[in-house]
Amino acid sequence: MDTVLSGLATGFAVALDPFNLMLVLVGCFFGTLIGALPGLGPINGVAILLPIAYSLGFPPESALILLAGIYYGAEYGGRISSILLNVPGDAGAVMTTLDGNPLARAGQAGRALSLSAVASFVGGTFAVILMSLFAPALAGFAVTFGPADYVALMVFAFASLASLVGKSTVKTLLGATIGLMMATIGIDANTGVPRYTFGIPDILAGIDFLIVVVGLFGMAELLTLVEHQARGTLKSLPVDKSFVRMADLAATKWTILRSSLIGFFIGILPGTGASVASAVAYGTEKRISDKDGTFGHGDVRGLAAPEAANNAAAGGAMVPMLTLGIPGSGTTAILLGALLMFNIQPGPMMFAQRPEVAWGLVASMYIGNVALLIINLPLVGLFARMLTIPQHYLTPLIAILAFIGIYTIVGNPHDLFMITGLGIFGWFLRKLDFSLAPVILGFVLGGLFEDNLRRALSISGGDWSILVAHWKSVLLYGLALLVVILPAWLGRRARAQARREAAAR
Amino acid sequence: MANRIFAAVLLVVTLGYAVIAFTTIKAPFQYDPLGPESWPRILSAVAILCLLFILWKPDADGLDVTRRVWFRLTAAVVLLFGYAELYEPLGFILSTILFGTILSAMLGAQKLRALGFGVASGVAGYLLCVTLMDLNLPEGALFEPLFETSQQGES
Repeated sequence: MDTVLSGLATGFAVALDPFNLMLVLVGCFFGTLIGALPGLGPINGVAILLPIAYSLGFPPESALILLAGIYYGAEYGGRISSILLNVPGDAGAVMTTLDGNPLARAGQAGRALSLSAVASFVGGTFAVILMSLFAPALAGFAVTFGPADYVALMVFAFASLASLVGKSTVKTLLGATIGLMMATIGIDANTGVPRYTFGIPDILAGIDFLIVVVGLFGMAELLTLVEHQARGTLKSLPVDKSFVRMADLAATKWTILRSSLIGFFIGILPGTGASVASAVAYGTEKRISDKDGTFGHGDVRGLAAPEAANNAAAGGAMVPMLTLGIPGSGTTAILLGALLMFNIQPGPMMFAQRPEVAWGLVASMYIGNVALLIINLPLVGLFARMLTIPQHYLTPLIAILAFIGIYTIVGNPHDLFMITGLGIFGWFLRKLDFSLAPVILGFVLGGLFEDNLRRALSISGGDWSILVAHWKSVLLYGLALLVVILPAWLGRRARAQARREAAAR
Repeated sequence: MANRIFAAVLLVVTLGYAVIAFTTIKAPFQYDPLGPESWPRILSAVAILCLLFILWKPDADGLDVTRRVWFRLTAAVVLLFGYAELYEPLGFILSTILFGTILSAMLGAQKLRALGFGVASGVAGYLLCVTLMDLNLPEGALFEPLFETSQQGES
C-alpha cells in the first residue's frame, strides 16, 4: 500500500506539472474529437497522431501522457457518433448504438449523452483505481519471471488473442504471425546477421514501428473511408436540452459497477480490448436485468453497461502493458511501441526504474477521467457538430496528417511510399475479415518473443524441456489452452441449446 | 475466391521467406543454440499451416466492391503515390494544395470549396507545423533557389 501511495505522489507531481496538465487536456480534447468522428476510433487516432507527438521532442512522460489522453478521450468520444448517428466510432462502441441510438431518436439525446459520459467516467475511474492497486503487485510478481516464463506468457497472449478477437481463429493467428514475421526483418541483435534486408540500407534496423502503425491503421482507414464514401451521407440527430436524471443514475448504479468490473478484467487479458469487454458486459446485463425486454429499445442500463465496460477495459488493457510489457489491446500495443521508441522498456522493472513515467501515466489517467467528464458534459454540442464535417474533407486530412507525421521524423520520402503500400495491404486484410490488432501486437512483441525463447534455450543449452520446467510456465500454458477451448465449448453449447429450442418450437 | 487469391499470394511470399530462413540465414559463429535462423523457420511453418487451412476452407466469398468503388480506390492510391512523389520536389504547401483539392473534389466536394480546403490545409498546415511546432517539412526543391536568393539579397 505504501508503494502505491508514494508512487501516486510521484505520479501526481509529474502529471500536475502545468505543461503536462495542459497536455492531458489537449490530448483528451483531441481524443474526444477523433473518437466522435464516425469511423475513426482510438487506434487510428493514436496511430495518426503518434509520429507528430514523437517529433515534437517532448520528454517521454509528457509524450506518453499526451498519447494516453488521446487514447482515453477517443474511447469517450466513440459514444457520441454511436448515439447520434447510429454509426460506431470504433469496434468498442458498437454495443452503445443498441440502446443509445433509440434513446436519441426518442428525443433524449442529451440524456443519453450525459448518462453515458457518467458511466464512462465511473468505468474509467474504477479501472484506474484497480490499476494503481494491482499494477505494482503484479509488477513485483513479474520480476520473478524467467525467459521461459515469458515465452509461456507470450503463448498465452497469442492464444487469448486468437480465440477472442476477430471472426476466425486461423486468420487471427495468421495475422499475428505476419506481424511476428515483419518483426524479424533487419539485423539480428544477438548475432549481427542481417535477415530479409536484401541489401536495402533503409531497413537494416528493421521496419520502423511508426511506419507500420501509420500504414496499417492510418492509411488503411483512409482507404476504407474512400471505399464507403458512396454509401450515402450520414444524418446526425440533434442534441437537445434533456439531461441525465438522478433516477437514471439510481437505476444504473449496479449496472455500471458490474460492467466496470467485467470491463477491467477483460481488458487485462492480453489481446482483448474494449470491443470484447463491451459486448460481454452488454450480454451479461441483458441476461441479468432485461426482464421486460426493453433492451435494444433505449434502456438506460443497456446504454450504461457497454460504456462503463469499454472505458474500464481501456484502463485494464494498460495493466499488462505497464507491468509485463505485453499489451492488452491494439491501441496499447501502439503505446508500448511508443515507449520503446523513447528507449523505455515496459515491464516489471519500469515501476522501479522509471517511476516518473509509469506513475505519471497512471496519475494522468485519474486527471484525464475528470477532465473528460468536465469537457464532455458542456461541450457535447460542439463535438456533435463535428459529426457533420463532411467525409470528403476528413479523408484527405488523414493523409495530410499521416504524411506530416512520417516525414517529420526521418525526412525520407521513401517512407511515404512505404506507408501507402502498407495501407493497401492493411485494407486488403481488413476487407478479408482479418483484424489488424493481432498484426501490430505480433510486430511489437516479435523481438521480445524471439529473444526470450533464445535466452531460455541458451540457459538450458538447447534443451527444449526448459520451457515447461517451472510451474509458472506450465500454469500459463494451461490457461492458454483453457482460453482457446472454453469459448469454443461455450459456443457449441449455445448452438446446441438454440437448436434444441428451435426443435421444441 | 478473394480469400483464396490473397492466401495464395501470401503463401508465395511465405514460401520465399521460408526458403531464405532455411538456406541463407546463418551466423558465422553459433552464439546460442537457436541462432538467427530458427525463429523465422518456426514462424514460416506456422504461417504456411494457417495459409493452407485458409486455402482449404476459405470463409468469406467476394470482396463486395463494385467497379466504381474499385475505380475510386485506385484513383485514391494513385493520388497518394503522386502526393508522396511530389512531396519534396514541390514542397509541402503546393503538393498539399494539389492533393487536398483533387481528393476532396473527387470524393464529392464542390470545386470551389475543395480548392478552399486544399489551400487552407496546405498553408495553415505549413504555418502550424513549421512556425508553431518547429517541425521539419519540405519547402520544395523548386523554391529553394528562390529562398536562397532572397536570403542573399537580404544579407
